[in-house]
Amino acid sequence: MNAPRPYALLAELTYRCPLHCPYCSNPTHAPNARELTTDEWKRVIAGAAALGVLQIGFSGGEPLVRRDLAELIRGAREAGLYTNLITSGIGLNRDRAHALREAGLDSAQLSFQSDDSDLADRIAGARAHGEKLEAAAHIRAAGIALSLNFVLHQQNIDQLPQMIALAEKLEAQRVELANAQFYGWAFVNRAALLPTRQQIDRALQVAAEAKARLAGRIDIFYVLPDYYQTQPKPCLNGWGQRYLTVNPVGDVLPCPTAAWAIPDLHFENVRMRAIEWIWRESESFNRFRGTDWMPEPCRSCPRREIDFGGCRCQAALLTGNAANTDPVCELSPDRARVEAVLSEINSSPKGEPRWLYRTNPQPLSVQISD
Amino acid sequence: MDSHEICATTRVRLAPQVRFQLDPVTGKSVLLYPEGILELNETAADVLACCDGRPFAEIVEALGEQYDVDAQTLSSDVRQTLADLRQRKLVELT
Repeated sequence: MNAPRPYALLAELTYRCPLHCPYCSNPTHAPNARELTTDEWKRVIAGAAALGVLQIGFSGGEPLVRRDLAELIRGAREAGLYTNLITSGIGLNRDRAHALREAGLDSAQLSFQSDDSDLADRIAGARAHGEKLEAAAHIRAAGIALSLNFVLHQQNIDQLPQMIALAEKLEAQRVELANAQFYGWAFVNRAALLPTRQQIDRALQVAAEAKARLAGRIDIFYVLPDYYQTQPKPCLNGWGQRYLTVNPVGDVLPCPTAAWAIPDLHFENVRMRAIEWIWRESESFNRFRGTDWMPEPCRSCPRREIDFGGCRCQAALLTGNAANTDPVCELSPDRARVEAVLSEINSSPKGEPRWLYRTNPQPLSVQISD
Repeated sequence: MDSHEICATTRVRLAPQVRFQLDPVTGKSVLLYPEGILELNETAADVLACCDGRPFAEIVEALGEQYDVDAQTLSSDVRQTLADLRQRKLVELT
């Protein structure tokens, strides 16, 4: 089969991050290898552009910890890509914002953990909220388009109206209200993060009202809480169709969580193979491409080209086999596993929430090229 | 938005966060904006090529030279296209 043409690359520059959000989807243990150098990233970017990629997201961890970030943004701009920075904002002072704009940064997606600094800082595990508010102003002042991201979960979802009000106050153009997905640290902390049914019913109403009210002024994206759906999310619009991720050590993945969630699938590395070959020819990218690989019930399901059987990572995590139907699907023989998790969350009231704060992966030794 | 908000003297330009460029794979024009891509058909591309801050009436006039369509239909179609793009925050009106 001819490989599809990719549109967007997620460049995870590092797993280092100054914050400790318990909902982070980074792997809980990282590969024992050196981060890609500046030149290695430039080759990745050029290779992605040659494949047809038009959008790049610089992410992590926290991409601002890379001192070569401006140089990489410049490289992406020169390759004709639209550049997005996915950031906590920590370290994004006025000078840095201007430097990134000079390098050609088009857009920044800034995360907020809540509207209220006490709760936000408690979730991030660091005093961060005030600096984020300043970062928002610096982004705007530098002429970079401002998007906000709020990951929603049990601890903050009741503040949704206030979070939307914050987005309006900060004059964001785009706001993602993203119900937590359960990979990486978020999977470990699921019991403290998964909202109750009552919480998500209320949040959906709030989000819908705000989306209508702000139409034409702010683009609002509400990402549904996956477990509460009866049909699975059309993950990535299909494995290896439109998106690819390169992680900090150069593994090329269909999505950021695949190496962590599907450990028995071998992913190729840019230090060994050209990215063009990996996208087109590698076993990992072709393994779940299209529909031929699907077992029942996906194989003969009329929705197979609508939701592609859902998320491979989730199937692997919850059923032990990445080829299975995503158990969110009501047609999945493993749906009861999801129901059990929902029952637990929606049953008797819980005590104080406890979670494991994210830590930087060990023993990744820090080698960056200046 | 209401397309009635676009009158002859309304100036139209690409929104500052938007890039209008050729997709090297397809040879077609695309709009790139924060984390998004809009593939453009030829007509939309021709309209956007005129969105450089000039007034609506001049856009219609310029397109009238390319398109063999009566002025009223052209004006109405272009107005609707621009209203849709404005709603998506891809063009700005002043």
